[in-house]
Amino acid sequence: MQHREHIAGIIFWGATVLSAGVTLAVLVFMVILSLPIIKNDMILEVLMGPWSPDYGLFGILPMIVGTLCIALLSLVFSFPVSLGCSIFIEIIRPGKPGRFLKKFVRLMTAVPTVIYGFVGVFLLVPHVRGFVSHGSGMCILSASLMLGLVISPTMILFFSQSFARVPKTYLNAVDALGGTQFQKFIYLLFPQAWPGILTGIILAFGRAMGDTLIALMISGNSVMLPTSPLDSARTLTAHIAMIIAADFGSIEFKTIFLCGGILYLLTSFGILLARFSAGKQN
Amino acid sequence: MGKNVWDMLLGFFAWCCAILLAGSMILIIGFLILKGYKAISLELIFANTSPLDALLFKQQVFGGLFPAMVGTFFLILLSMGFALPLGLASGIFLAEYAPGSIKKIFSLCFDILAGVPSIVIGLFGFSITILLHHSFNSQIFPCLLISALSLAFLVLPYIIKTTQVALESIPLLIRLTAPSLGATKLENIFLVLLPASISDITSGIVLAIGRCAEDTAVIMLTGVVAVAGIPKSIFSGFEALPFYIYYIASEYSDQSELMKGYGAAIILLLICSGLFGISHWGKNRLTAKTRFNY
Amino acid sequence: MFMITAGICSASELDSFTGEKGVLRISGGTAHIPVMKEASRKIMIFNPGIQITIAGGGSGVGIKQVGEGLVNIGNSGRQATESEVSRYGLVIYKWAIDGVAAVVNTGNPVKQLSGKQLQDIFAGTILNWKALGGEDRGINVYTRDESSGTRAVFWKKALNKGIISGKANFIVSNGAMKSAISNDPYGIGYVSVGYIDKTVHPVRVDNVTPDLDTVKNGEYKVVRGLYSNTRGDASGLTKKFIDYLLSPAGQEIAVQKGFIPVN
Repeated sequence: MQHREHIAGIIFWGATVLSAGVTLAVLVFMVILSLPIIKNDMILEVLMGPWSPDYGLFGILPMIVGTLCIALLSLVFSFPVSLGCSIFIEIIRPGKPGRFLKKFVRLMTAVPTVIYGFVGVFLLVPHVRGFVSHGSGMCILSASLMLGLVISPTMILFFSQSFARVPKTYLNAVDALGGTQFQKFIYLLFPQAWPGILTGIILAFGRAMGDTLIALMISGNSVMLPTSPLDSARTLTAHIAMIIAADFGSIEFKTIFLCGGILYLLTSFGILLARFSAGKQN
Repeated sequence: MGKNVWDMLLGFFAWCCAILLAGSMILIIGFLILKGYKAISLELIFANTSPLDALLFKQQVFGGLFPAMVGTFFLILLSMGFALPLGLASGIFLAEYAPGSIKKIFSLCFDILAGVPSIVIGLFGFSITILLHHSFNSQIFPCLLISALSLAFLVLPYIIKTTQVALESIPLLIRLTAPSLGATKLENIFLVLLPASISDITSGIVLAIGRCAEDTAVIMLTGVVAVAGIPKSIFSGFEALPFYIYYIASEYSDQSELMKGYGAAIILLLICSGLFGISHWGKNRLTAKTRFNY
Repeated sequence: MFMITAGICSASELDSFTGEKGVLRISGGTAHIPVMKEASRKIMIFNPGIQITIAGGGSGVGIKQVGEGLVNIGNSGRQATESEVSRYGLVIYKWAIDGVAAVVNTGNPVKQLSGKQLQDIFAGTILNWKALGGEDRGINVYTRDESSGTRAVFWKKALNKGIISGKANFIVSNGAMKSAISNDPYGIGYVSVGYIDKTVHPVRVDNVTPDLDTVKNGEYKVVRGLYSNTRGDASGLTKKFIDYLLSPAGQEIAVQKGFIPVN
């Protein structure tokens, strides 16, 4: 009896270590496979330079900038809308309409990203092209609009949860003092829920940085450093998807592991940051 | 305590956002359905082969969605086969065995894994393939097995987290009943705790299944191909529904193919929302059944 | 009588696949895919014991993967270089002739260019259709990724190795290029001649219209072969597949899909 318990305990422990091992292994593989770049002292060139394999230039700076631009712009689009929706759910109409919107938002998380990309190509891109009268419609703007929609549920659900966590006694206190809804929001709910809101923003940003399909299908994938939201751009994620086809022995191929490593570090940093800020609300 | 201008502005802002969000989604889904409902038919899935022959694997289907759907199905089966035991065991460990500090470290680990972009997971799977190919057996290529394994890594953190949270939220009273009657820790876990949290765990598993069904980035790097028919073994290439949709969007050769793409998108949407619905419905029904009155 | 013999002939080419079993992995050039799909369909219907998987990726992928032993047949739309052949021990089989043509949207009034203008457009020196007699809109340049054989041929023979603007939109296959141009009234790209249909319009360059005839008689210069490469001499199922491609039935498929047969 004792023996069986012991074995079971070890099995469970082993499973956990194995699973955690995967987390570490991903990073290790990325680092080891990008070593040739670091060894050849090319690291600075690769991180800072332009991408032009015909001329032997393998810099991924345009892709880093592309990732950051698209993620940031999608955050700019999504944050106000998400905040507004969570205000709707928790404050303005917390009854039936609020619950309905919350269910709707939850359902949104079930929609595959490839669907957003598909509709983006055939609905959004032609309209952006016509509206802007310039370019092909495949640009940072289009990708950010779609991506903003994709990351909204994450933020909305997080914000709602943070607002809901504010103790009822505080809310009652504001009512007792004769405060309006707006005052309640500005002076109580928002400041109190801020750590949760920050967490939601960070997680959504991580999600936006890590998305592949939408960027691959809608952002145009050009290799130039983008100078405006109407420029075509390439993200680190789309770059990996495109270069996976290249010659295995080449430096070109090795750069995708560097891209993978950078993405891993960026998102992990985001998670740590989010953990830290989430801890603050409690 | 009257409604002043600011209150009205806040309400207006909130309503606008809600309508904007809901409206955009309805636009997207509506566009898809409007453009694609005409394509939905048995022919979309089975093309020129009779459905019965196709389902019994007697005949290959060419030009239909069936191979992609079968590919996705096998993917889900295999990846869950990898991820479930590992994830459940880890979740049990974290909830029942791990001391506080260790729990925190592992929890952080799995949060990080959950945050890793899917394409990086795919890249990891691809690297493993290269490693095995060069050092182990040169017959190993990106294939169904590798894709399933990589998908398992992708959904592992979700299963672990769901199991852990589900077990941790069991009320103390239930937790202590069996041990007080002499049951061992293991008996408690398998006979009391797991059944008590089965609804939450199942709903988490169903969501993970949904994640496997919709993912494109991971399988793109680890073995999905444009044309493969029904996979003959786990070491062969395969098709999958989300990749089919991506492929059609990038390179459809005529209207009929584009219509197939719309049809495939609708089917994938139905599958994923169906799984979501099952996970929610299952949660409500099972919770009702196992409600403890005390 | 003639029909019967014709029927017997095509059946006999597939006969070589009787009794075969196994998986054949093909990847590489995207221009080859329609022919691959049709050939594999015929073979798999004839013998359900065979599974043929087809992936794209471009000529570079095909060569690299067959060289590494990841696939049995690596298709390429450009001839493998000497270093590739010696490094991987490749054997090259050419089974069709194709061209690469610049294409624009069917609604674009600009339908012919000089060679110099073409180079300038792709280099990014000419930026507006207005300068060529078209609408006052920016030119959206579409190009292929570096692994593409189509790109290599176009760059070498049509652009004389000139630069391709980094601002161009990158597309991953011939099919995708066709979709992109047919959806963008102000786009210009390049695609396999065999792929051209009513949805895109080939650009007349230096007074030569790129189509099957001009490719065949040599008037249109941007020509390339469709190759299937294997590591070492082809054998077994691989050899039978390549023989099928070179047989009358296989060549007929190539013609059907818009290419020029070698036999």
